[in-house]
Amino acid sequence: MKAYFSAFRMRWKMELQYRGAVIGGVLCQIFFGLVLVAVYRALYLGNPQTGMRLSNITTYVWLQQAFFRMLLSSDPELMDKIRTGGIAYELCRPVQLYGFYYARITAQKLMGSLLRAAPMLLFAALLPEGWGISLPASLPALLLAACGVMLGLLCVSAMECISMGFTMRTLDFRGVYALMNLLMATFAGNILPLTLFPDSWQRAITLLPYAQMLDTSIRLYTGAYALSQAPAALLIQAVWIVLLVSLGLALWARNQKKLIVQGG
Amino acid sequence: MDTVKFYLRSMKMQLKCQLQYPASFLLQTLAQLVMEGGEMLAVILIVDRFDHLNQWTAGDLYFFFGIMSVTFYLTECFGRGVTGSFPSMVRSGQLDTLLLRPRGVLTQVICWAIDPRRIACIAVGTAALVMGSRMAAVQWTFLKALALIEAMAMGGILILGLFLIEGIFTIRSVKSVELVNALTYGGRSACEYPIDVYPRPLRVLFTVIAPFALTLQCPAAYILGKPLYGWPDWAAFVTPLSGLVSFSALYLLFQHAMRHYRSTGS
Repeated sequence: MKAYFSAFRMRWKMELQYRGAVIGGVLCQIFFGLVLVAVYRALYLGNPQTGMRLSNITTYVWLQQAFFRMLLSSDPELMDKIRTGGIAYELCRPVQLYGFYYARITAQKLMGSLLRAAPMLLFAALLPEGWGISLPASLPALLLAACGVMLGLLCVSAMECISMGFTMRTLDFRGVYALMNLLMATFAGNILPLTLFPDSWQRAITLLPYAQMLDTSIRLYTGAYALSQAPAALLIQAVWIVLLVSLGLALWARNQKKLIVQGG
Repeated sequence: MDTVKFYLRSMKMQLKCQLQYPASFLLQTLAQLVMEGGEMLAVILIVDRFDHLNQWTAGDLYFFFGIMSVTFYLTECFGRGVTGSFPSMVRSGQLDTLLLRPRGVLTQVICWAIDPRRIACIAVGTAALVMGSRMAAVQWTFLKALALIEAMAMGGILILGLFLIEGIFTIRSVKSVELVNALTYGGRSACEYPIDVYPRPLRVLFTVIAPFALTLQCPAAYILGKPLYGWPDWAAFVTPLSGLVSFSALYLLFQHAMRHYRSTGS
């Protein structure tokens, strides 16, 4: 267990190194957030929706932008190692490969998104009502949303490991990876808030693993999921974590048996 | 003439290279299709929920989306050298070899790469354009077709120019600057929707600094018969020229930067 924890800590520290990249990334994300908010504002004001407040949409956009790095960031090192044959060293380590990389990717996603989320949420909080992020529905809602983010993180890391598992045996991973990322961006609510999808679709989409990553926490935060619905929502997250981790473990175990070490 | 032959030959070579790995090529093209399809799906779902955006109907929105998408990805397809490879050429010192050859640097950079996978995005954009013009019941005339072609050509040149900015920064500081993406990719995302939905600072940004509104949206609005800001019809033919102006200005800056180019060595 200690080995996995130190893999986690190493990766965490590494993510802290690139502070310059963080500033650039945050400014970019703020820009995209402003553009999206402007579009949704104009749409909403032209045709106000019943049962949905403008501030809920803008809050959704800002939370998605703030935790962008949690959804869409990957660990290219393993892919490089497979291509160059460096994977042989990884197999010599007295740790379980899946757990090792799961710890690394979780640290990267957690630290990367915390570093970015703090300044972005501060900025969004300073924007006027109807542009920025509004306060959580209640204090318990905030705490539940925080729990949801942590469960979502475990879920997104498990999904990332499955993507890696799919691509492990092909040397050119860009195609598969791009497809997986797109599914994630669309069904996690990054391209368009899931709350704006047609209501009939939402019932199915919110059950998919992608919705567990961030959508659930945002809905808990804005109060779209009432406190009484929270246990069920968190339970769905937990179920998906178990499913995705077991699937990933099986996939990696099978891959490892057939893995070809490239080059010399 | 010689340069054109040179260009066509390198394009043929590039295409051959890309098709060497057909499975990977097909998968990546499919990924592009899903990507742009996802963006389009977002517009469709928005229309489904909100019906219209200010005075713009569903058809208008698809048309705006389509014109931006086709123009942007045509540029990325044929200008891949500028939009993708150039910064890494500077960082690795590969640019030095180009300086030795008896052709302009920019010509060679454009010949450096082609990205045929973008054909999938262009197809989605074209579908959006056709759908939009059908739904908005556009009466096509010779002048409108001309406006569309001019808009796309000028828009493409503008986008190429904006990507040069990243090149200029790379020459100056070797590191590439992420923030430049706000103008290029940000401009694409923002100007998929009509410019008049944005607050003034964003409008100024995409009208004066990166004139997507002038090159693409003014002609698009003319074609749809709802002139942008109520401008007269001839504006749709004059304002796109701003794309050429921006490109020329940035090209001069690029030339200036190239004079101060210092190789990273090795």
